[in-house]
Amino acid sequence: MSDILIDDRIRDWVFLPIIIVMFMIQMFRGLLTKYMDNRKTAQKVTSKAQVAEMIDKNITQQSQRLARLHGLLPDQSFKMKRAYLCDREQGILTKASQKPAKDPMQSMSMMNPVAMADMLKQNLSGIVFMALQYQWVSYFFSGFVIGKVPFPLTQKFRTMLQRGVDVQNLDVRYISSISIYFVLLFGGLQKIQQLMFGDDTDEFVDDTQMQMQMQMMGMPTMPSFGQQNDPGKLFIAERTRLEGVKHTFELNKSSDKALKSLKRFLIQ
Amino acid sequence: MEEPKIELDDLEVNQERLKQNTIQLKNLRVYGSLNAGIIAGILGMDGWIGIGIYVAIFLIVSACLAIKMNFKVKEYFKSSYDAYYSGIGTDLLLFLMIWVIFHNLVNIL
Repeated sequence: MSDILIDDRIRDWVFLPIIIVMFMIQMFRGLLTKYMDNRKTAQKVTSKAQVAEMIDKNITQQSQRLARLHGLLPDQSFKMKRAYLCDREQGILTKASQKPAKDPMQSMSMMNPVAMADMLKQNLSGIVFMALQYQWVSYFFSGFVIGKVPFPLTQKFRTMLQRGVDVQNLDVRYISSISIYFVLLFGGLQKIQQLMFGDDTDEFVDDTQMQMQMQMMGMPTMPSFGQQNDPGKLFIAERTRLEGVKHTFELNKSSDKALKSLKRFLIQ
Repeated sequence: MEEPKIELDDLEVNQERLKQNTIQLKNLRVYGSLNAGIIAGILGMDGWIGIGIYVAIFLIVSACLAIKMNFKVKEYFKSSYDAYYSGIGTDLLLFLMIWVIFHNLVNIL
């Protein structure tokens, strides 16, 4: 394939502007998320259904915490806590699992205006900007070749990478401008932004890739947890997990561990 | 509210320092893949050689880290696999992006 000579003006007026604009939008989105997070206040509990949801969530958290940190408790305490949760007649988990399954319409947190506002904010700072950028790039910069990818690709990528360019036998390496948009999107302008501006300890601003994957799988990004149609099964699963925990009190092993650490320290 | 995840095995490890170390390691790897992308783009490398450069620079970064730590991995990270080899796939897309950008800027446009 002969080499195509690409006009200098494409570089000046298309390639660099796309990069610069996407980068700035990324930074702007980061600032926007920060601003909205600052303004977030604690959620007030507004309805009885929400109180019940909170109680369920706390119960699951408690049982998970117990299953994870059981070594910190002596034998008697652990057995008492486990009995409180898992007893076949009176335990909290058993009682909770006997409640009727929640209506799926009701259990969606669409009823809760605060959660809906949260979802809107998430959508705004993620999907809307992506869609906007896509429209901008494909409206202004479609129909010509913008560059070349350094690696060989199969013909299957032609429709994705050469959208708008109708030359049939053009090497798949030559890409149109929408593909540079995709490369920038997936490549992680976030990381560069974090590198330059993210020296606070927030490790994660927002993850469009994760959101996109979740949307593609058909699951909406719900802010709250436990939106299942049958919470009873969840509780029974927790109960069986707790009942299967083999409990040893870590204090019994602590003298051995201390000896090991001391040895490791002295050897240096 | 999210609770900090404490696992029992980690009671011997200082969590704050480990977290700082991993943040620094992540920054280091991002720098490494940026540099790899710039090198691969400017030199006009093609196809698999470019990915080879990425792997090579990744290993060089790990080697420099090892020298800086005086080879005592356990003092700084959980395991040598964590510190040297674990994150090789996560920055690959970043490398690809920088490679494509610089390859186009320098060689083609």
